[in-house]
Amino acid sequence: MLKLIGAALVLFAGTMIGFVQAARFAERPRQIRQLLHALQRMETEIGYGQTPLPEALARIAQVLPPPLAGLFAGTAASLRSGGETVQACWEKTFRAGWSATAMRAAERDAMLRLGGTLGASGREDQLKHLRLAMHQLQAEESAAREDQQRYEKLSRSLGVLAAALVVILMM
Amino acid sequence: MPLDLLALLPAELRAAIERLPALLLETLEEIRIREGRPLEIGFGGRFAFVRADGTVSDDPRAAYRPDRETCRALLERVTNHSLYAVEEELRRGFVTVAGGHRIGLAGRTVLEGGAVRHLRDVASFNVRIARARTGCAAELLPNLLDREARTVRHALIVSAPQQGKTTMLRDLARAISAGDWHHPAAADWGGRKVGIVDERSEIAACERGVPTFDLGPRSDVLDACPKAEGLMMLVRSMSPEVVVVDEIGRPEDAYALTEALHAGVRVLATAHAIDLDDVFARPVLAQLAQEGMFSAYVLLSRSNGRVQHRIYSAEEAAELRGRKAGRRTWAGPRDAPSPPPAPTVAQPDEPAGTRWSIKPRQLPPIRSPDAEAKEESGRA
Repeated sequence: MLKLIGAALVLFAGTMIGFVQAARFAERPRQIRQLLHALQRMETEIGYGQTPLPEALARIAQVLPPPLAGLFAGTAASLRSGGETVQACWEKTFRAGWSATAMRAAERDAMLRLGGTLGASGREDQLKHLRLAMHQLQAEESAAREDQQRYEKLSRSLGVLAAALVVILMM
Repeated sequence: MPLDLLALLPAELRAAIERLPALLLETLEEIRIREGRPLEIGFGGRFAFVRADGTVSDDPRAAYRPDRETCRALLERVTNHSLYAVEEELRRGFVTVAGGHRIGLAGRTVLEGGAVRHLRDVASFNVRIARARTGCAAELLPNLLDREARTVRHALIVSAPQQGKTTMLRDLARAISAGDWHHPAAADWGGRKVGIVDERSEIAACERGVPTFDLGPRSDVLDACPKAEGLMMLVRSMSPEVVVVDEIGRPEDAYALTEALHAGVRVLATAHAIDLDDVFARPVLAQLAQEGMFSAYVLLSRSNGRVQHRIYSAEEAAELRGRKAGRRTWAGPRDAPSPPPAPTVAQPDEPAGTRWSIKPRQLPPIRSPDAEAKEESGRA
């Protein structure tokens, strides 16, 4: 009886791990897309509205869904509460909050590079840096979509099968 | 020392300034920050260098020297982390922060086609602290009244930099718009509609369009607008009775002021000049004076921390001008009196007869090309 309950638990846990992994694969391209939208918004805020950066970041945070909104809102808040430079605030928030997102190191590096130049130059230059970051993210997005097609179902079934294997070995 | 300005400084710099003696903080006028060089403050017309622990001395060697990081952080914070939003201001060399404090910048300019396009490597900051002195115009305003028209006269306020022009102008605007005339005959006049063109955001220190300084209940402010254009816009849109502008001096300003004058609007303006001679030496101001634009000139000067004024009427100014014009026909060096000219020695070998002279000479007759064409066609 106890063995049976244990087997069921292992099976359940394995399946869940597989599903979580699959969800991460599905989530990554979607979040990259949201990030791209955010940067596009920032492009208009900087290029057309000339909105000051803390305000622009706060506005972007309002229209983004949760894990990404936190990154932008956090940067805006630390800039407003007396942060010294954009680079420092941006890097701190993004490094701390990145693990909550489904994105990988490549996207993070692109965003950190952007943070180093944000607000520190003229309008033309800002727009160029934003476009560069957007190109990098677009490349990552297509890679992420390929990964999703390849691994999403695989990881889901792999979770179930691995759990089944453990159960069989235990029996 | 206003708190909002203090919050703008990076931590190290703030620590040094915060520890200054309280008496000094109250009279603080300027903070001059130069990268890698001693921190300097200006207060009550004097200056001193500041050590990291907040003590002051005349010796620059022991003073606190802000490093590159501090200066970068300061630049970011005074531009609200958005250099792209203040490109125009950088081109002019200063930004104005919340509270109306002006921060002058110097660094390396980036040129495009010979014109300044951008300022980079900013290494010198001059933080000028703006203070509202409510009531400082109380002595001046009664002398500027136009009793018949029940309003204020066209006036030009003149002084050297740092003598309180903008502060005076701000309080004049407040008093006029509040009907605070300080004169028994004007007790029942009420306030006037005041339009302020605040090109450098110094007079009103607007935040999101709302003035942070008290400018009375009947003031409208056109923030960060070029003076010439702003004057015309105000006259068209807000029907002001008095317009207030800071630091006129460009040809288009003169044109706009003349337009405003003929639109029946009273004008209060300021200009940089040491004295009235200087006013008449500046082409635009001289032209305005000649046209009889201003009926009063106010000269501000400051001694022992008190601002004093002297008022010249248009007639006095014209007389002064005539006197000066007779005495000095061209500008001499401004810094020191020049030595008396050496007596000219006549050249002994030059015979008096060889001096050239102009003789009248008959000019050839001028024919118009039409006549020639007619002649030619007649011949043909």
